[in-house]
Order: sequence, then C-alpha cells, then structure tokens
Amino acid sequence: MAACTRGLKNLLTSIKFCRTLQFQDERFLCTSALRFANNEPPKFVPPSKPVIINKTQTTASTRRFLSPEFIPPRGRTDPFKYFMERRDMVRRRKALNIPEFYVGSILAVTMADANASGKTNRFVGICIQRGGRGLGATFVLRNILNGQGVEICYELYSPRIQTIEVLKLEKRLDSNLMYLRDALPEYSTVDPEMKPVPFSPTGEVPVNKLKVKMCPKPWSKHWERPQFAIQGIRFDLCMTPKQMEFVQKKYAKPWEEYDMLKEYDTSKLEEQIFAEVQQEMNK
Amino acid sequence: LTALTGRYCFTYLEILGMNSLSFSVSSSQLVGCIRTYRRQTAEKLCPLKDEPWPRHEWTEGSRRVGLVAIKLGMAPIWTKSGERHAVTMLQVQDCHVIRCTSKEEYDGRSAALAVGGKNVSPFYRSEKAMELFRNAGVPPKQKVTIFKVSDNAIIKPGTPLYAAHFRPGQYVDVTAKSIGKGFQGVMKRWGFKGQPASHGQTKTHRRPGASGPGGDPAKVFKGKKMPGKMGNVFVTAYGLKIWRVNTKYNVLYVHGSVPGHTNCVLKVRDTVLPTRRSTLLNPPFPTYFTEEEGDLDEDLYSDDLFVHTEPSVTLS
Repeated sequence: MAACTRGLKNLLTSIKFCRTLQFQDERFLCTSALRFANNEPPKFVPPSKPVIINKTQTTASTRRFLSPEFIPPRGRTDPFKYFMERRDMVRRRKALNIPEFYVGSILAVTMADANASGKTNRFVGICIQRGGRGLGATFVLRNILNGQGVEICYELYSPRIQTIEVLKLEKRLDSNLMYLRDALPEYSTVDPEMKPVPFSPTGEVPVNKLKVKMCPKPWSKHWERPQFAIQGIRFDLCMTPKQMEFVQKKYAKPWEEYDMLKEYDTSKLEEQIFAEVQQEMNK
Repeated sequence: LTALTGRYCFTYLEILGMNSLSFSVSSSQLVGCIRTYRRQTAEKLCPLKDEPWPRHEWTEGSRRVGLVAIKLGMAPIWTKSGERHAVTMLQVQDCHVIRCTSKEEYDGRSAALAVGGKNVSPFYRSEKAMELFRNAGVPPKQKVTIFKVSDNAIIKPGTPLYAAHFRPGQYVDVTAKSIGKGFQGVMKRWGFKGQPASHGQTKTHRRPGASGPGGDPAKVFKGKKMPGKMGNVFVTAYGLKIWRVNTKYNVLYVHGSVPGHTNCVLKVRDTVLPTRRSTLLNPPFPTYFTEEEGDLDEDLYSDDLFVHTEPSVTLS
C-alpha cells in the first residue's frame, strides 16, 4: 500500500517533470513508470528504426548497367529473334533477381541439385568469365576447395538457379581471368563463409588493380602474347624484358587495328536496348 | 439490276469489248453478263466472290495443310525438371494459300494446295508466277510449295495461314534446302576415312582409294560415292516436337536443329511418322481461323516446358 502510494506520488512528479521537458522520448516515460510500479527490469522495447530518405540520390545517378548478354553479336540474324529472346530474359529477371556483377566479383550461387542434401547446393567463387549472348548466357565461378581448384559454369537464365548474390562487387584489369588457373592458388581462393561486402548502387565500380603472380611456366595458354592483352599479370617476375619484347613483337598483328570488318560499334544499339529493358522491367 | 451495275459488272463489260466511256449497253447484253457472273460464282471460279468455302470435320486418315516459315535462329529452353534442350525459332511470315487443285486434276489420289510464304518484290518473280498471285489476290511470295491434302481439308485460295495452325506438343517435319558446301571431296561429302598422314604415303591423304570390285564387273557401278557438289539439296528433318507457339508474332519453337541457313524459307507440315501422330491434341482442322476460333493466349506452351515467369525449379 505504501509502495503503491509512493509509486503514485513519484509517478505524478515524474509526469510533471516530463511535461516540463516536453516529452522528448515516450520510452523514457513508460520505462520509468514501470520501474517505479514493479521492481523488475523493464521489458526491452527496441527503438523505432529511423527511415532515412536520401533526397540527393536520384534514379538518374544510380549506375547505368546493361548486362553484356543483352548486346547481340554481329551477324546476319534478324534483330527480331533477339527481341523475342530479350522478352524472355526480362520475364526471367522479374522472377529471379540477377544482380549487376563483373568479371572479378565474388558471387554466391544456390542451385537446385537432385543429388545434394537439402536438394540445393551453394557455391562461392570469383567470376572469371562471362560468355554467351541471349538466354544461353553463362558465367564461370572459380574457387579452391581443400586444395583442389574448382570451376563451375552456370547459365544465368537456367530455372535451376535459385539465388545469385554478389558478395563483393569489383572489376579487375581484364575482362577474362582464365589466367588464374596458372596463377598461385592464393589468388583464386575465396572463403565460402565470406560476409557480403557492402557496396553503393551509385558511383563507379571499384577496379582492383591487382597484378597476379604466376606459377612457373609452362602455362595452359601463352598469356604473355598480345592476342590476350592481359594487364593483370606480374610478367616482370616470370620473364625478362627481352623475352617479353620478343614475344610481343613476334606475335603482334598490327594490321588488326585497321581491319574495318572487325569494327563493331554497339553504342547506339546499347542505348536502345537499355531503354527497352528498363521500360519492360519497370512495367 | 441497278445494284449489279457496280464495279463487278464493269469487268464483264470490258470482256464484252465495251470501254468505260460508252454507257449505252443493251439490256440483253447486260442480262447475259449478269448470267455469266452468277454462273462463274456458282462454280467458284470468280475470285471476287467473298464467301468462305464450307468447312469439314476431321476424320481418320485426313491430312491437313502445312505452312511456309522462315528460320530465325536457335535458343535454349528448359523443362520443368530442369533439363535443357535447344530449339529452333521459325516465324510464319505472310503465309497464304495460292491455288487449290482437286484430286482429279492433280494426280488422281489426293488434292493439292499450293501455299506461298514471305512477301517479296514483284520485280524478282516471273510473269507466270505473278499470274498465280494475281489470281489468288495475294502479294508476290518468295516460295510456293505444294501440300498433298485430303479432300475434306481443302482451303479457299487467298486464306492466310498462321502459326496457331500448329499446337504445342505436336510433331512436325521440316523441309528446307541445306547449306551449300560447293564441290567437296569424298571425306567430307561421304565420310570416307582417307589415308594416314605419314608412314610413307605418297601424295594420298584424302583420296577415295579403290572404286569397285575389279576385273569381274570391270566397271564402276552407277551411284558410286565420289567427290562432287555437296549441300543445296532439299533435306527433311522428321518428328520435331513443337514446344511453344507465339500467336501474336507467329513464331514456332521447334525441337532441335533444322536444315538450312538463318533466314531461309522452310516447309513445315504434320509428321508422317506413325508413332508421333497424336490425335489427342485436336489441332485446328483444316486450319486456324482467327474469326472462328477467337482469341488464344499470346504464348501457348507445351505441358512440360518451363515458363520464365514461374519461380525457380526445386528438385525433389
């Protein structure tokens, strides 16, 4: 009884106190009231999450990215065929979120597998190649598990793929990292339990200017030759400048830069296709 | 009488030798002209008559028309169990029936329908061909093929044919001219083994070798496989399943590969294979008419095909 009256009196004082303070936090009132009412620690009421609306970030400033498989190859096929394929690709993208990623990013893919326990398997790896155009577009993920190098080629639009997450979004100096097969294993190892690294949807994609150290020769391909045009290997550690210069001179094809039939300017096509795809995705 | 003196009678008046300026037509000539018109329409010879021909029901053993399509290219498809198959996309562009020949006129066994596909410029077609198209009232076509058809499946010349004529789950045969390879040797053309690359072979690595038995026949038999022009001949791929039909753009998704280069003109018809001739599907007979059958969905899918709008497949 005395406790009650005491509690009530204290409550009244606290109410007056709060009234004067003009209630900055309703939680303060209720926890203090409860504390004085019964001698138990108050139930934790989590604070309401503040919603931050960033008015500086408009849709125009988010990165314009068109996945490379939307760009049709040069050939004599009717553009109508690519139009039909693009419709199917957009339908699949509405059902499954295929994020933006580049060669050199680290991805985690869960796929339906009849022979695996739980019927799905998850693979984490670094993307070394993005090939194919249209619905048959593929990407190859590489990782080293228990000392064994593993590469898996996934089809972007296959119905067996359940999720694709980008753990680390970055670009590398080359668009094809097949030389990682002949590089030291540390460059291809990716931790399967890696936490996703946060990245912003605006601004430039970070370019990792890493130059990779190679295993001793022979390699699976002659990566030093100019046809591959690789920037991401430490050639100074594998061969002398004289050897490098010899190889670059012998296998150079200086006439290719003047070959008009090899020119394929996709800028206008890209813009049209980007506008079309954005429209379809926002429907 | 006055109703008939419109443009219809004008052509008949021209036939009678009157030009449009002389309007003094005797009544007897006019009556004769109208009688010819009526007789010709009754005999279905007048192309200006707009009535559709009577439709018959499907019976056991009846064959229906095929289509003329263009090969667009190939694409992957997936089934509901996650298996991947390759399909060829064929587009039915401006397919019209051009001429109907009855059983007696054609060969005494079955009627024939000439079907044309893919409009082209009249400058690239001969006068004889242009006459055919003019009689049918149809723009000039690049390819005209003949389909042997049963009597209950004849269609009036001038009717357009659409991709919805075929339904998913059905099997078709596709005929086209294969890609021309030019003059080719015996190894590429007939798959001969040739000779070893080394171990003393003198100037003989891809030659045919022996050409026959020897002294007894003392000749080379007719039809001996020898080098020659390869490709650019009509080849048929049998028993191809139709996975999907797009009725808006008239595109057929047909299983596997098909002879011919991209954008070539092909002839598509129902299979002749006895094990793939299923009557359960009830495809439109004699053909698909937009007015009579009403609106189909834009995309018709086969039962086991994975549609891209569905969520991902979970195997169990």
